Amino acid sequence: MLKKLYATFCSLNLGLWLMTGVMVTLAIGSFSSASSEGGGLNDMPLLFWLQRAPLGYSWWLWLCIACIAVLFVNALVCSIDALRKKGRSVAPHLMHAGFLLIVLAHLLSAYGGFKQQLQLPQGDSFGFPDGERVVVERITGEVGPMGMMSGYRADLRTADGVHGVQPNHPLFHKGYGIYIKDVALSPVPVALFEVHREPGALAAFVGALLFTVGNLMLLAQRRGR
Amino acid sequence: MKPLLITSALLFAASVRRPVFVAGLACSLAYLASRGVALGRLPLIGPQDTLAFFSGSIGLMALPFVYDRRLSGVRWFCWGCGGLAALFAALALPFPTLNMPLPPVLDTYWFELHVALAFFAYALFGIAALLGVLFLRGAGRPALDLQYRAALVGYSFFSLSMVCGGIWGYYAWGTYWLWTAKELWTSILWMFYSLYLHLRLKGPAWERGFAWLGIAGFAITLFTYLGVSMLMRSSHSF
Repeated sequence: MLKKLYATFCSLNLGLWLMTGVMVTLAIGSFSSASSEGGGLNDMPLLFWLQRAPLGYSWWLWLCIACIAVLFVNALVCSIDALRKKGRSVAPHLMHAGFLLIVLAHLLSAYGGFKQQLQLPQGDSFGFPDGERVVVERITGEVGPMGMMSGYRADLRTADGVHGVQPNHPLFHKGYGIYIKDVALSPVPVALFEVHREPGALAAFVGALLFTVGNLMLLAQRRGR
Repeated sequence: MKPLLITSALLFAASVRRPVFVAGLACSLAYLASRGVALGRLPLIGPQDTLAFFSGSIGLMALPFVYDRRLSGVRWFCWGCGGLAALFAALALPFPTLNMPLPPVLDTYWFELHVALAFFAYALFGIAALLGVLFLRGAGRPALDLQYRAALVGYSFFSLSMVCGGIWGYYAWGTYWLWTAKELWTSILWMFYSLYLHLRLKGPAWERGFAWLGIAGFAITLFTYLGVSMLMRSSHSF
């Protein structure tokens, strides 16, 4: 029984069908209003959204997650099986390990992620769960030659000093990232902030590194063949 | 600058011989370089710049294949690559050039790497599709091996592009992943080429299917690039 199960999960055909399943469900999802800007899927952690969304709206995502879950086991068992045999290249399995870590990263973020938008004028503040206040000390911006904002920044005071926040340069504080999204300078300087917590980010980064190393090794092995 | 783009399109379209193809590529790269110098960055914003960049990428990525000894007897392959590059250069022409500075959130090397690597990958997927046609028309096993190589290198570029996009997204938007049509189709494309590369393990019985998948992959590539950008709302729209 166990041998049969092992052989099933080791099967290349199973992997190919599951990949097809993931592609088909994602393609259906791309036309669903759930993945549109107003669909709410990007406004809260995935697992919270799945609990709240009607099944008629989210079925494609449930199916996709089911396919990915079995694909996860399939990739894991295939790698274990291949590595038990001598003389096999480690490169594809590093790529598998990277993929598995990225799936885990998504699971972590789907469970423990957090996102909140705040529109704050200069001098206002917002609070952290432990009671610490973050004060918006200064909001500045430059308007480019075409009338568009060419750059903007806010100085935030936390318990450990003043930190600048700019586009692509968020402030990471107590496990949260504070991002500045937009600025209006008149009639009073106001900034739109987003506070994010992405617990899967590190796992996703390590997974991406493993995948890339495996990928480069595979390219080197295939050179000239 | 536009005359350079027009010349590159004409030369690519007439590239029955390899030197003509190289001349088309030189014009295309000169056009992209002049746009880059004028803008102070890689020209990667808006339909005109991205289509021209895609055309140049096809020319650049096709070069090693065009000069591969195994394909020296197949003259139309050079013309096919040139035709593909010419098509996207010609599609770029009607669109206006956008000379605006980068919005602050796009002003990072991660964004430029993300987009440039994606276009190199798209170009290689296009070349893989042409090699698939070559195999199906009887060019033999070398065409299929080269198709695999083009797709593998393209897949590597595409994976790196997704990694760069994830890092950029994390610093710019606060998350490495968004549920939007573009991200979903990017994942579909990545998964498709993962499937394609795994299918090779099934052996010679699947050679024709393998060639057809290489062709279908380029259709998904085009939908991911043009279809999603034009037909669906997403953070990646033009």
